[in-house]
Amino acid sequence: MKKYDVVIAGGGAVGAACAYFLSRDTDLKIALIDLKKPGNASRASAGGLWAIGESVGLGCGVIFFKTLSKLHSEAQGKEVPVMRPHQLPDCFFEFALTSNNMYPALHQEMLEKHGVDFKFERTGLKFIMYNEEDRLYAEQITEGIPHLADQVRWLDAEELKKEEPYVTDDAIGAIDFICDHQVNPYRLVDAYLEGARQNGVSLYLNTEVTSVIRNGNVVEGVKTHDQVFFCDTLINASGAWANELYQQATGRTMPVYPVKGQIVLSERMPKIMNGCISTSDCYIAQKDNGEILIGSSTEEKGFDTTNSLDKIQELSQGAMKCLPILKESSIKRCWAGLRPGTPDELPILGPVEGIEGYLNACGHFRTGILTSAITGQLMTELITGKTPSLDLTPFSVARFDEAEQKAG
Amino acid sequence: MTSQIHDQVVIVGGGPAGTAAAAELARHGLKSVIIDEAPKLGGVIYRGPLRQTDSLPHLDDNLKRAMTALQTRYQAHSDSIEVKTQTRVLGPEGSNQLLLSDNSGLSRQPYAHLILATGCHERSVPFPGWQLPGVMLLGGVQLQLKSGLVRPGQRMALVGTGPLLPLVACQLHKAGVDVVGVFEASPFAKLAKEAVALLNKPKLTLSGMSMMSYLKKHKIPFKYGWGIVSAQGDEQLKSIQVAPYDSQWRPQRDLAVKVEVDAIGVGYGFVARTQLAMLLGLEHNYTKVSGYVPALDEWHQSQNHAAFVVGDSNGLLGADAAICEGQLAALRLAWQCGKITESQLFSRATKVKNKLARIKKFRFGFDRFSDRQPGLLTLAAPETVVCRCEQVRREQLDEAIAQGVKDITSLKMRTRIGMGDCQGKTCSSYALDYLHEAGLTENIGVIKPRFPLDPIPFTLME
Repeated sequence: MKKYDVVIAGGGAVGAACAYFLSRDTDLKIALIDLKKPGNASRASAGGLWAIGESVGLGCGVIFFKTLSKLHSEAQGKEVPVMRPHQLPDCFFEFALTSNNMYPALHQEMLEKHGVDFKFERTGLKFIMYNEEDRLYAEQITEGIPHLADQVRWLDAEELKKEEPYVTDDAIGAIDFICDHQVNPYRLVDAYLEGARQNGVSLYLNTEVTSVIRNGNVVEGVKTHDQVFFCDTLINASGAWANELYQQATGRTMPVYPVKGQIVLSERMPKIMNGCISTSDCYIAQKDNGEILIGSSTEEKGFDTTNSLDKIQELSQGAMKCLPILKESSIKRCWAGLRPGTPDELPILGPVEGIEGYLNACGHFRTGILTSAITGQLMTELITGKTPSLDLTPFSVARFDEAEQKAG
Repeated sequence: MTSQIHDQVVIVGGGPAGTAAAAELARHGLKSVIIDEAPKLGGVIYRGPLRQTDSLPHLDDNLKRAMTALQTRYQAHSDSIEVKTQTRVLGPEGSNQLLLSDNSGLSRQPYAHLILATGCHERSVPFPGWQLPGVMLLGGVQLQLKSGLVRPGQRMALVGTGPLLPLVACQLHKAGVDVVGVFEASPFAKLAKEAVALLNKPKLTLSGMSMMSYLKKHKIPFKYGWGIVSAQGDEQLKSIQVAPYDSQWRPQRDLAVKVEVDAIGVGYGFVARTQLAMLLGLEHNYTKVSGYVPALDEWHQSQNHAAFVVGDSNGLLGADAAICEGQLAALRLAWQCGKITESQLFSRATKVKNKLARIKKFRFGFDRFSDRQPGLLTLAAPETVVCRCEQVRREQLDEAIAQGVKDITSLKMRTRIGMGDCQGKTCSSYALDYLHEAGLTENIGVIKPRFPLDPIPFTLME
């Protein structure tokens, strides 16, 4: 039997960040328990820190745009549905941007204090426009975020060519979100874990949480196959699998479910991209070792992590349209990850009414890498009894209970 | 040929196991498709020369006979066997199709029944200088002789363990190579202990003895209990250091000897080629001899999947065993498809199973003799590259393990070992041994293959 102050269930970006921030800022006795299941999102991630891009439905979110864009073109001059960017609410912008601002300092801190480099790169995220429809869409995006005007640059075709010479000549320009960057996602998770380990966190890797120990409305710990862990607080950071743990901890359910994303990776190439790119078809990012990562599909297929030729073709075609030089390269790997989705695309954070000793840190959908840092900080604030630096009300699981009541 | 989707049997790999399975299926009225990456059937072992030639003086009669037998086995049933050569399987596509690639592009191969006979690949053992041109793996050396009909070097040594060493030494010598030494890691005393096991296949044992006397007659030194320490050269291999190995195969470096060579063959064993089986989701278990192998029943059918896995891809037993396994799987499948009765199944299978049992006894003798010892892991210096694709050095593994890495996936994420183009085929067996030697034996996982198993040009996606 083991006794900890905090047990974190899940060692992806979010769980690992919680372990790191808690161990950095407190003297608590902490354990992190993790089993990598097929499709775990942190290892499948592209590693984009696309705070604005994701908030306005680009990057990983282009699928929404595609759907709208398709409706638009199918309408063929008839009653055209108004095509609006898929913009998340203000609370998400604040959440994402606050987290994003933490990375430059965090990168330095990890390098200097722990000797680990998660390859933070200042890249920007450019939305490449091919036609007037794209331009209209870009204008709508910028109109929706007037308070972030200083973070947006407009590039005409010539300026784009200068900055991204390998982008197709068909591009008519781009908007660039200058604060959106990238990291190496597994290095980031690794850095959090290594920092946490150096700070004294007990890591139980390759270990599965099999059940939650609950006494009435108090969560007292968890069991693994051969061990029992008692704790004062259990943090549920189990990604697409979070609902299983939630059910055991609370006897209720919450809407966290796997949203499959397929990714295509090229062979290593010389540096052909200066920044990350989103088009209306896909996102494209060249990683620190030269590989070009193209993502990603959005599919609700349960816990299925297989690759399918149709999606790989779509992504590849979208990428070749933008970067014709890819035709000289090969696809080296494909994989699929399972984003922990929620109906409103917002994460589920914080305590659950009527349950003691339990915190949610899940439902991060497309942005777990980006928002891991702020999540780690918020969980630390909650556990040490401080007022959270952001209002957590919009992220409480209670919003779904309310929605149900209203519906009822 | 008309093949109905609902009974389409697809065999991946046209070596001894795959071809035997196809022939056995044909005997019972089942048609099949064999997919193979090479231009000819036969697998790495019985493929033979890739160009037409009448004289193969360096190949022994046993090998020539076996090659002919395989071709005959196929020819007798060629009406029932469709062969797709120079075709690679990139992975599963959907639930009942494989994605293939050949000169004309990508295609899908539907299947109702699947037999995997994907063989094995060589076990790489990193040591200082192992990346020099001229340092080759033993099977690769043999392929150059058998299929390429080229001499891999002028002055060669062989290092490693097991029966392939004397065989390749004889073949090289017959091909006109100056073989300056053969260094077998295990001591002779250990081989002598296996005399009883080796008598299960008296012909093979005799043939091994005649190879040894051939080497003696031609004054080719064969040293037991010796092995590689390092290789030297600038652009090209110039010499190697070999030394006596202790019982743990740790080289006694103070007794090392320099041997001048322009090429060497290194053969410390093979690893089952299981990437496709893993992508298909078959359960696997770790074995020391063959690495990860699928969990199968007595008919070589997966315990959690309908596919059969036969030949070296389910554990290394060699070509004769592969033929037996291919036949057993085919018989079982014929029975499952209602082509033979249960009594026909058992009467024919019993004979094959008995033969397989004898081969196993013989083979296990050699496995015990060639049992890989931890000293091999000490050959790589801290700065030696252990993963070629990603240029990972041994000291990076040490650092990661010291920092608490306990499984192969975390090791991969931290060091990039196994993340390169070869998908870990070259480095993962070393990485597994390394983790085991560090005391990490439970739940260390596996470097999971990813789709596609071979790179696909982007242009094929247009």
